[in-house]
Amino acid sequence: MTGRYFGESVLRLEDAKLLTGRARFVDDVSLPGMLHVAFLRSDEAHARLNGIDVSAARARTGVVAVYTADDLGDYWQPGPLLVPPPPIPGLVFNTATQGPLARDKVRCAGEPLAMVVAESRYVAEDALEDIVVDLEPLPAVTDLEQALMDGAPLVHDQFGTNLAAWVHQTKGDYQAARAKAHRVITRRFAYDRGIAAALENRGIVAHWDSGAQELAMWDTTQAPIPIRNGMAEFLGLRESQVRVVAPFIGGGFGPKIMMFYPEEVLVPWAAMRLGRPVKWIEDRRENFFATTQERGQIHHAELAVAKDGTILGVKDRFLHDTGAYDPYGLTVPINSQCTLLGPYVVPAYDSEFTAVFTNKPIVTPVRGAGRQHGVFVMERLLDFAARELGMDRVEIRRRNYIQPDQFPYDHEILFQDFRPLVYDSGDYPAALDKAVELIGYRKFIKDEQPRLRREGKHPGIGIVSYIEGTGIGPYEGARVTVEPSGTVRLSTGVGTQGQGHFTTFAQIVAEVLGVEVGSVEVSTGDTREFHWGTGTFASRGAVVAGSACHAAAMKVREKILALAAPLVGVAESDLVVAGGAVHSRGDPAKAISLGDLARKANPLRGAVAPGTEPGLEATAYFGPDRGNAASGVHAVIVEVDQETAAVEIKRYVVVHDCGTVINPLVVEAQVQGGVAHGIGNAFYEQLHFDRNGQLLNASFMDYLLPTALDVPTVEMDHVVSPSPLNPLGTKGVGEAGAIPTGAAFAQAIDDALAHTGIEITEIPLSPGRLFELIDHATGKST
Amino acid sequence: MIVEGTYALPGSPEAIWDLLMDPEVLAKAMPGTRRLDRVAPNRYEGTMGVGIGPITAAEFDLVIEVTDIQRPLSYTMQIDSKGRFGFSRGTARVELTPDGAGSSMRYRADLQVGGKIAGLGQRLLDSVSKMLLRQGLEALHKELTARLT
Repeated sequence: MTGRYFGESVLRLEDAKLLTGRARFVDDVSLPGMLHVAFLRSDEAHARLNGIDVSAARARTGVVAVYTADDLGDYWQPGPLLVPPPPIPGLVFNTATQGPLARDKVRCAGEPLAMVVAESRYVAEDALEDIVVDLEPLPAVTDLEQALMDGAPLVHDQFGTNLAAWVHQTKGDYQAARAKAHRVITRRFAYDRGIAAALENRGIVAHWDSGAQELAMWDTTQAPIPIRNGMAEFLGLRESQVRVVAPFIGGGFGPKIMMFYPEEVLVPWAAMRLGRPVKWIEDRRENFFATTQERGQIHHAELAVAKDGTILGVKDRFLHDTGAYDPYGLTVPINSQCTLLGPYVVPAYDSEFTAVFTNKPIVTPVRGAGRQHGVFVMERLLDFAARELGMDRVEIRRRNYIQPDQFPYDHEILFQDFRPLVYDSGDYPAALDKAVELIGYRKFIKDEQPRLRREGKHPGIGIVSYIEGTGIGPYEGARVTVEPSGTVRLSTGVGTQGQGHFTTFAQIVAEVLGVEVGSVEVSTGDTREFHWGTGTFASRGAVVAGSACHAAAMKVREKILALAAPLVGVAESDLVVAGGAVHSRGDPAKAISLGDLARKANPLRGAVAPGTEPGLEATAYFGPDRGNAASGVHAVIVEVDQETAAVEIKRYVVVHDCGTVINPLVVEAQVQGGVAHGIGNAFYEQLHFDRNGQLLNASFMDYLLPTALDVPTVEMDHVVSPSPLNPLGTKGVGEAGAIPTGAAFAQAIDDALAHTGIEITEIPLSPGRLFELIDHATGKST
Repeated sequence: MIVEGTYALPGSPEAIWDLLMDPEVLAKAMPGTRRLDRVAPNRYEGTMGVGIGPITAAEFDLVIEVTDIQRPLSYTMQIDSKGRFGFSRGTARVELTPDGAGSSMRYRADLQVGGKIAGLGQRLLDSVSKMLLRQGLEALHKELTARLT
């Protein structure tokens, strides 16, 4: 489907609102009589809660209520297990979810102990100091490997172990593959934690309307419908009594998924109990503790290769840090396990992981959601193999690619959507060729790098491939309504956090209905507007919700044709829907506007014919059979200062394949933003916990984000392999930019400092850490 | 966080032992101490205020218990401080050896820091601790000199 809008770089319709401060965010919601909340959080990472005295806080002027776990009564329940483990034979999973307020024990610093509701946030925060807590410190466990050793402190006593899960997936016979190998490359890889660092932190406003018996909740969630359904259940209300609005949100990136965070569960409860609106806005320091994080894994991996560089098999054993609880199941480590296979033919795969509880904040997907680790491990193994075999880095990748005629390609293991990991389409050699060309790989290796090296500089190039499994089910829905004004109203259930949904969804509908894109008014993330769906995650908005928008628009188009044919006086097949009207193909003067048609579709007299429906409106749903495989190649040129370990990114190239592109501008912005995220992950952002579970850099003074000066403008090109799994042919793009960045960066640094023999096997780096690694490689330290 | 070193003090171990156990002297050795009372033979309670980076006025409730006493040569202090900005706790081992007319004090503190002071003040924690330690030792020296003469 291409046309006037679909596939065009339509300027984002929501930007005027956003740029002029008229977009409503949760913190903009202010209601009469609204109360404000502050949470008392544990300073200890692991401690027994022996007692808590809130009497002084309750007595403070301006304090309306103070709640501890005991005050919640039956409302205190462990949170839901959001994603149960997939049906993989032999799988072990120990479920441990967080209660809204700590009851007997705290398991990570920042866990909430008490909730203060007051006339203002100032009073609420002051009252936190009135609370006396008796926490008996326990030894903490923060290191993944130590956590599994005998005698390690137990995060959850009931399991007798810190093992949260164990999963083994295999394909082919790895041992046989290994026996045939010319070389076996074995390494240990480590990836550490960061935060999502969204511009907007989390926030919730809840209002119980006792007259209407309805609860309204504004929530910075990526998944308003599951939150509505869950809150109705927890609070004993009908789903229709709860309205959840996820308005404009300043970035989601995963942690704002349907977590049923303690604050999310408690604020509406307090609003109902107190009969007044209640608001909580997370502050930046809280965000470092109270919002989920990602990326701690340690891999021991090996790659068996033939003499010509052909992959014979891969074996991987890895530990995954799930933090203090595991409410999001195994999505992240299974993504790591699956994404490792990448765009390559891997005849034998033996992958086993152990998820581990630690006294650190909870781990759930953050942009990339475990895919980074898989890509990093596989790409680094290929780099080292190429080095040992004396092969070119590009050639070893090309040699092992799944070819365009091999789709659908079955990797024979199970993906995070519980469906087989089968790639739908792609053209990996084409993307590699484009990237090699665009960054000038050959010329760089042959001319530029030697020239710069002669000048005493240390330039390096990295070029890596990746797959991003996107657009998973189960489903999304949309409703399209043509109003008598001629405006088209489009409602869908997914939440939006800056992705451009107001534009891309409008483009899809405008194309089908032949209207101006600006006349399609999009509503997302308001359960009163649309209450079926799951949410925004796994790069699925455009794929799944976009396809539902398309299906609903097509149904409306059928209604338009059926209603217009007798009015215009020609057969449906002779009608053209364009320019906001329907006209006769042969005689464009014979026409009726969609607005007039909408009015006629909703008559005040006469009769709506049996078998038809009033209104130019339709609702449709779309559920893909399984996720699809977006892919791409990242290439980067860096220059490293060997003395200071400063790394300058000279150029960054991305060739991306997200199938059919709805809006190139939006796709490119997603990739650019993702690369910024990836650069942060590769070289700046790392959470440092001490052995007691204390976070040592809980502010933007010490937790470094890349700035505009550190992020180059990404040079981009596209390959289009339409997905056969949805009518639009689209694949997801939300996470792509962030996934292979660490692998590209590491390869480029190795290349720049090839004379030192350095091997980067860990991410994130920092100038400080790289300095140590350079010293280590050059023998200055051990 | 481990802080250790040696420092020369005036007076023999026997001469300074009681002074080191005197809450007024002890308070001098810990800059920022606003109050310190001996509530039991080897137990002290008080408050102290310190500024670390962005945290300008962190007030802590302080409990010190002296254990493992080998008068006049060594003792261990169990330190436990808590406040709205976090906590600090751990042990400080002090050993005195005669050194001419004076004493050589060897100290080793192993402190765990948590809460806001750990998360926000980390970058400065080391330098602030060293500065406070130096100030404290100098003040202790001065106080002992004054009391011994």
